[in-house]
Amino acid sequence: MGERTARVFAWVAAAAADGEGDGRISPAALCRAARTRLQVDGVSMTAMTGHGMHTPVAASGELAAELEELQVTLGEGPGLAAFTFGSPMLVPDLATSTARWPGFATAARERGVAAVFAFPLHTGTIQLGVLELHRAETGPLTTEDLANVLVFADLGLQLLLDSSSGVDRRLGYRPADEPARGRDAVHQATGMIAVQLGVGVAEALARLRAHAFTSETPLNEVAADVVARRLRFRPETEPDEAPG
Amino acid sequence: MVEGMTMREQRVTDTFVELADTLVAGFDTVEFLHTLTERCVELLDAETAGLLLADERGSLRLVAASTSETQLLELFQLQEEEGPCLECYRTGQVVTLPDASQVAGRWPRFTAMATELGFAGVHAIPMQLRTQVIGTLNLFRTHPNGLDDNDARLGKALVDVATIGLLSERAVRHQEMVTEQLQTALNSRVTIEQAKGVLAERHGVTTDQAFTAMRRHARSQSRRLGEVAGEIIVGEVDITVTDTANQRHVRP
Repeated sequence: MGERTARVFAWVAAAAADGEGDGRISPAALCRAARTRLQVDGVSMTAMTGHGMHTPVAASGELAAELEELQVTLGEGPGLAAFTFGSPMLVPDLATSTARWPGFATAARERGVAAVFAFPLHTGTIQLGVLELHRAETGPLTTEDLANVLVFADLGLQLLLDSSSGVDRRLGYRPADEPARGRDAVHQATGMIAVQLGVGVAEALARLRAHAFTSETPLNEVAADVVARRLRFRPETEPDEAPG
Repeated sequence: MVEGMTMREQRVTDTFVELADTLVAGFDTVEFLHTLTERCVELLDAETAGLLLADERGSLRLVAASTSETQLLELFQLQEEEGPCLECYRTGQVVTLPDASQVAGRWPRFTAMATELGFAGVHAIPMQLRTQVIGTLNLFRTHPNGLDDNDARLGKALVDVATIGLLSERAVRHQEMVTEQLQTALNSRVTIEQAKGVLAERHGVTTDQAFTAMRRHARSQSRRLGEVAGEIIVGEVDITVTDTANQRHVRP
């Protein structure tokens, strides 16, 4: 685990263990940690699908949750755009975005919001939602905050994937990180497993991660075994060692 | 050919035009960076090249490598957090290493790995806009001796033009644009890796063969590599993959 990843994870773990947390590494703990550690006033996490489904997952406060609802109601805003384009949407001054999102920019500014930063929770074609930050003051994110929020977003994606497979409720759960060497293998193995199981890439990656957790093997090692065809996934069962 | 121009001068001119022309329809960042590494290998006295992009989390990610040995050496540096390419990124300065075996004291693990893979010289050029380094283009040579001055200057110019082409057009909102562009490029690269896995499994080939076939297909259709990869993943398209796909690889 990289230094920054370890630090961000420790922040989330601390938020999970504080008075408001339930001890679990969860999206709620992630949003509260991000709200505390970054120079922002609120953070929310929303699960989305390409078919227009939006599910609020967690928010650090009422305003953060309200900003998400606003975008769904109005059908516009930086969070929706971040999901649609698969790119961060950094809006250091909402006053300059009234042409782009007239309804949202006006409504958010009426609520005292001056800046919004939205990050897709995605990896390749796997897109599960958005992490969104807001602030009452205008201005860009610092380089340090940007680096940290990208890692928060990586972690948010991992939490959504692991919650889809149920791994996040297991004892001793902590999300597996992708190391520099072996990262490509994880993505390639995801594509291979999708074909082996006849499922989408999101489910394939969730299965890969669940197997790594269950077998207590680093994610990149399991992925390398899949790419080298030493390990195959079969529907509804644990993966098999390839014969020979 | 323009009168009085040598074949090489013509090729250099064409490459500058190609690298500056990033506003064409269907522009694809990952494909563009692959092209940059290929042109550098063609035009400069280096056998292979690799390209690392800043992930804005404080480290670099490999985006293009012209051979699997280059890929190994680049990933090794990222994992071990030492080597000339990382030094280039951290300092924003060209790092030139005529003979890797002479710097074992500085980067012992890097030197051992480079020697093992048959590399002698490294020349790392920062991709820099104003004060921000967004990545490095790294040239590798199998024989000791540095790049000559002309090649070093040409390499720097090619990388500068490519960086400016990538980033400066929307300089009004510079920082936001750099982040959006970098993150989109890095994610597009993940999509391509996922699609390589899908194709490799579907056709029983290696991921390298899958990539070559996918890239050839995208080029022949004048499509974005990232888009074709996305369509392969959702099963909208399938493409022909043959064993001859591996011929692209030129071993150092």
